[in-house]
Amino acid sequence: MMSEPANFRRPGELIFALLIVVFSVTAFWQAYLISGFSGKATPGVFPMLASGIMIVSGLIIVLSAAQTPKKFDNKSGFFSEVMSFNHVVLILLVFSYIVLMPILGFVISSGCFLFCSFQFLWRKNPLVMLALTGIILAVIYVIFREVFQVFLPQGTFLRDGFQ
Amino acid sequence: MTEIIGFFLISWTDPWLIFLTAIGTFAGIYVGAIPGLSVTMATSILISFTFKWDVNEALALISGIFFGGVYGGSRTAILLNIPGAPSAIATAIEGYPLAKRGEAGEAIGLTTVMSVLGGFVGILALALFAPVISKFALMFQSRDYLLLGIIGIFLVGTLSGESFAKGVFAGALGVLIGMVGLDPLTAEGRFTFGSIHLLGGIPYVAAMIGFFGVAEALVQLHTLNTPAIRQKIDRIIPKISDIKKYFWLAMRASGIGTIIGALPGTGGDIAALLAYDDAKRSTIKPERPFGTGNREGLVAPEAANNAAVGGAHIPMLTLGIPGDAVTAVIIGALFIHGLKPGPLLLVETPHLFWFIVGSLTLANVFLLIFGLTGIRMFTKIVECPKAVLIPLIIVLSAVGTYAIQNNPVDVYWMLLFGVVGYFMKTYGFQVGPVILGVILGPMMDSNYRRTMLRARQDLGDFLWGFFSNPISLILTTGLILMLLSQTPLWEKLLRKLPIRKS
Repeated sequence: MMSEPANFRRPGELIFALLIVVFSVTAFWQAYLISGFSGKATPGVFPMLASGIMIVSGLIIVLSAAQTPKKFDNKSGFFSEVMSFNHVVLILLVFSYIVLMPILGFVISSGCFLFCSFQFLWRKNPLVMLALTGIILAVIYVIFREVFQVFLPQGTFLRDGFQ
Repeated sequence: MTEIIGFFLISWTDPWLIFLTAIGTFAGIYVGAIPGLSVTMATSILISFTFKWDVNEALALISGIFFGGVYGGSRTAILLNIPGAPSAIATAIEGYPLAKRGEAGEAIGLTTVMSVLGGFVGILALALFAPVISKFALMFQSRDYLLLGIIGIFLVGTLSGESFAKGVFAGALGVLIGMVGLDPLTAEGRFTFGSIHLLGGIPYVAAMIGFFGVAEALVQLHTLNTPAIRQKIDRIIPKISDIKKYFWLAMRASGIGTIIGALPGTGGDIAALLAYDDAKRSTIKPERPFGTGNREGLVAPEAANNAAVGGAHIPMLTLGIPGDAVTAVIIGALFIHGLKPGPLLLVETPHLFWFIVGSLTLANVFLLIFGLTGIRMFTKIVECPKAVLIPLIIVLSAVGTYAIQNNPVDVYWMLLFGVVGYFMKTYGFQVGPVILGVILGPMMDSNYRRTMLRARQDLGDFLWGFFSNPISLILTTGLILMLLSQTPLWEKLLRKLPIRKS
C-alpha cells in the first residue's frame, strides 16, 4: 500500500526536511512556554508531545533524505522541478488576489485574477479569455450568491467610492 | 421501527432533498472524474457554502458528492488512464487496457453496477452495525478515545505516503495546528503569540481547503499540458451474465471495502488496492492476465471503494472518529451545524443517523442512473483544460474560505496551508493525516487530560489503565502491533515464521 520512496532525493528535499525540524523545535519551545513541566495534565503537555513527535520523526526524515542519493544531472533543480516559474507567478497572483479581494470586492478581484491566470497559463486570444472569464464569473456569482446565498466581499473601495 | 423508516425516508419524500441528492451525485461524478478535483476538495469547499443551510439539506448534498466522487474517479481511470481520485488507481490498471480494446463503454457499465452494489453493502453494514457499535461505544472511556485517535492518525500515516515517519510527522503537525487557540479546559491561550486573531484557533476549514484545494491546484501545474485522449464508447449497459459472473467477487470486495472503510483513518483508496490484490490472488484462471484489461481486477476495487463510503461513516457517526479524509471533513461540517458525532449521536439525534443512511441510499440509486447515462457529455467536460481548472479551483477555495466567517485573515491561512501542503506533497508527505490530526487533536488532548486527572496525575496509574480494562487492552494491543509492524523487528519475526511466501 505504501508507495515506494523516491529513488533519488528531490531538489530541496533535504532543506525542507531541515526546515521542518527547525519548525518542530520552535514549536516545542513554544509548547514548553505554555505551562512548562509543572504537571502532567496541564494545557502544555499535549502540544509538547505533538511537537516532540514532530522533532523525532523530522530527524528520521532528515536522516533518510540525507542517505538518498542526489540525481546527477544538471536538468533537475529546485526552480525547474519544484518551484517553477509557473508556480511562482501563480502564487503571486493568488496572493495579490486575496489582498485585493476585500478592497476591490469579489467580482472585480476574481475577474482580474481569472483573466490574468487564464492568460498566463493558456496564452490564447485575450478576447476569448475575457469572454471565458465573464461566463465563469457569472456562473459562480449566480450559484454562490443566489443559490448558496453566500456573502461575497463587496470591497471597501467601491463602497466608499460611491458613498 | 416505523419511526426509523420515517427518518430514513425523509430524503426520499421531500422533492428539494431529492433534488439536492441528485445534484450532489451528479456533481460528485464530475468532481471525482476531473483529474485535479477531488471529493475531499469538493466537500471542504462545499461545507463552507452550506453552513447556513438546514443540516439535512447540507448532508443530502454532501452524501451525493461523496458517493458520486468516489465512483467518478473510475471513469477517467478507464477513459484517460488518469485516476480521477486515488481510490481509482487500481481501476486504471485494468480499465484503460479495456478501453484501448474498444470496450470502454462496457467497462464503465460494469464498474457502475458493481460500484452501486458495493455502495449498498457498505450502507447495509452502516445501518446494521452502527447502532450496535454505538451502544458498545457508550462503555468507552476517555482513555479509549485517546487510543482510537492515535490509532486513526497512525493508520492513515502507515498506509499512505512514502514513509511512516512522514505520516507520523503529518499527523502530529495536524494535532499541533488543532492546539492553537484557547484551551477548551482552562481557557488559557496556546500558541497565540498575543494575537487576538489566534485566540479562536486556526480555522480548520481554511486548513482543509488550503491542503486539499490550493495545494492540489499547485501540484496540478506540473501536468498543465497533458493532452486528453479520446475513446470510442458504444455499449454502456452491462450484460446480465457479466453481472451474475462477477456478483460474488463484488460481494467479497465490498466486504473488504466496508471493513477497511470502517477502520479509523483508512478509506476507499486503500480498500480498492486491497480488494484488487485479493482479486488477483483469488482468481484462479483469469480470462486475461491482470494488468491487460482483466475484468475481475476492474470489478473488485470499484465495489470496494464504494463500499468503503458506508464503512467510513461507521466510526464517524458512532465514535466521532473519521474513517477517512472525507469523513474528517464531514465531521467538520457536523461541528459547524452544532452536532457532535459520537456514541450519543444515535441516542440523542437518531433522526439524523437514519437520515444520513437514507440519503446515502438515495445517492447510490442516483449513481446507478447517472452512471449509465450521459457519457458523451462527460467526455467533453472532462477534457476541460487545466489552465482553466486551476484558477477556478483557487477562486472557489478563496470564496469558500471567506464564506465561513467573512474574515479575510482566513484566506491568508488558506494560502499558507496551500503552499505548505504543496511542498509536503512534493516531498512525499500525505496531507490526509494533517486534517485527521486537526480534527482529532483537540479531542485527544482533552481525553488525555481527563484520563490523567482520573489517575490523579500518577503516571503508573495512568499507564496501568491501558492494560487493566478489556476495551483499552484490545486497543492498546492493536496500537502496539501497528507500531511494531513498522520496525525491522517485525520483519525478523515474520522471517522466523515457518510459513514461507510462495
